[in-house]
Amino acid sequence: MTTPELPGKGLWTTSVGSMPKPDYILKARSQYARKEIDRSELKELEQKATREWIEFQESIGTDVVVDGEMYRGDMVAFFAEEMPGLEIGGLVRSYGNRFYRKPIATGPVGRDKPMTVEWWEYAQSLTEKPVKGMLTGPYTICDWSFNEHYDSRRDFVLDLAKAIRDEALDLERAGAKYIQIDEPAASTRMDELDLVIEAMQIVTEPLEAHTITHICYGDFHRAYPKMLEIPVDQIDLEFANSEYGLLEEFSDHPFTKYIGLGISDVHTHEIEPVDEMVQGIRQTMKHIPPERIFVDPDCGLKTRTTEEAKEKLSNIKKAVDVVKAEL
Amino acid sequence: MSIQTTVVGSYPKPPPEGRPFTIRKTKHAIERGEATPEDLERAFDEHTREVIAEQEAAGIDIITDGHARWDDILTPFARHMAGFQIGGLLRWFDNNVYYRRPICTGKIEWRGPATVDQFKFAQSVATKPVKAVLPGAVTFAHMSVDEHYADHEEFAMSIARVLAQEAFELEAAGATYIQIDEPALLEHPEDLRLARECTYIITSELKSAETILATYFGDAKRLGPELFDFSVATFGFDLISGPENAVLVKELPSEKKLQAGIVDARNTRLETEEDLERSIIELGEIAGAESLSVSPSAGLEFLPREKARAKLERLANAAKKVGA
Repeated sequence: MTTPELPGKGLWTTSVGSMPKPDYILKARSQYARKEIDRSELKELEQKATREWIEFQESIGTDVVVDGEMYRGDMVAFFAEEMPGLEIGGLVRSYGNRFYRKPIATGPVGRDKPMTVEWWEYAQSLTEKPVKGMLTGPYTICDWSFNEHYDSRRDFVLDLAKAIRDEALDLERAGAKYIQIDEPAASTRMDELDLVIEAMQIVTEPLEAHTITHICYGDFHRAYPKMLEIPVDQIDLEFANSEYGLLEEFSDHPFTKYIGLGISDVHTHEIEPVDEMVQGIRQTMKHIPPERIFVDPDCGLKTRTTEEAKEKLSNIKKAVDVVKAEL
Repeated sequence: MSIQTTVVGSYPKPPPEGRPFTIRKTKHAIERGEATPEDLERAFDEHTREVIAEQEAAGIDIITDGHARWDDILTPFARHMAGFQIGGLLRWFDNNVYYRRPICTGKIEWRGPATVDQFKFAQSVATKPVKAVLPGAVTFAHMSVDEHYADHEEFAMSIARVLAQEAFELEAAGATYIQIDEPALLEHPEDLRLARECTYIITSELKSAETILATYFGDAKRLGPELFDFSVATFGFDLISGPENAVLVKELPSEKKLQAGIVDARNTRLETEEDLERSIIELGEIAGAESLSVSPSAGLEFLPREKARAKLERLANAAKKVGA
């Protein structure tokens, strides 16, 4: 297990990954899609927005920062666009009024060049705080894509795992000390949890960085404690959205890893009051010591407005400071 | 003897590639205060007309309104029942699709029809019969949180009594096909009797509508042939995600009908018409051609619009060919 080299004795703050895109990015992305601006003009704005999010995270004292993914659309499509073997398909709905272009595997999937390293380097050049490398996990890319090529899901997942491992190694070579491999789909099918584990083993085995996976929307009660076998240092989970229901499970089966403790629901406009978040952290500390807790929102914040996201992150930091003062 | 074709429920909401996505745009505009709920109603109606025309043009015999107004199959009903609030997002079975979980905090009561106006509109713009779809009470109960009844059976039966009123109103409005969706029953064989009871509650006041019990996303094998005692005319199975269903359907009693999901509603790979013809011939031998309808394996909203349409066309072509 890789111990984080961070100031203080735990209860560090971080983010799950995505941040809301400011209006000028949304505008620029659609202008780019209509070929009204070129790639470099879009990139300049994406860098400006990245700077703003890094500055914001620094201003509230976030310990492990993220680049905010200003240059990514959907978390699977972003990688699919870069990977041979995957094509971008038509729009499908994920919930409510949210739609995404679901990729299609049409041939053997691999990686022919780094996909996230340049952006990671840019973000890290702006701050002294460690910037997390952010990858989408092989199982999730498979699960959120159509498959017209592979005979088995396992073959598809394992090819993806090798590609994501190569990307993670490149991030590590560039200097990333924290690498998150998101597997929100991991809790979808209990009979495939072994495949999630097998694929993650391929990705994290050669890494020395502190590795994290983020899992959400699932039936944790069925996936726990088996999910502790996923070979990462930290598992990041949503607690606000499930009213801390998972904590009961920790009494029977202790949580043995670092935890990413999601204490703010990303699918509601409501800003949880600091008190409520403080309660959540205190409750969690009955099961997990503070030196193994990272505190963050439930999930990526990209669906919130910029103001909501900032307020949620500020409250998280305030809640953490309240609890830290009690230690 | 033609083989009947149908759909299971939802249809993709995005427009054909290159056309404006009016529903999505209007919803965003409402959030900004730049459009009204009436604008959205118009967008839904327009979409409903289009998807009905698209299903009819593909050659589907019994269509749906595509569920344009629904985010999932539970919340449109839960919102119209006293006793329910709408909770957080949860995964819809093993799909990368999410629904809002209904939370029952009080006595469940009928508050008037939830979907009857939508049905009436759809039927008024269709030339083919429009199938009305209801969530089954056992699925409804499993996908919800019960903070009031503290008794799973009573909870499910209370939901069934309200759904019965909806079914009654749908029939009164002219629905000739009413489908009850029970995908969660596949994972809960212990609820078979409860589901039978609930289905009876929902169907018992109906006079002439043909009723269908639809399962999807898996095998019904564990439920066994006892399933066929349910008080419905037709049983729907997903033969893609539940290959063992091909064995179960052999036990279908002769007075019951089969709705066979033979086109994969969850993957873009297009089935060949030859393969579909083969499946239809085999199933026709089991159920009898006059008792067989063929469909996608589930609602089509898991697919992009173009793929959904292409799959329906192939299905209808194959059915026509076998029928000839």
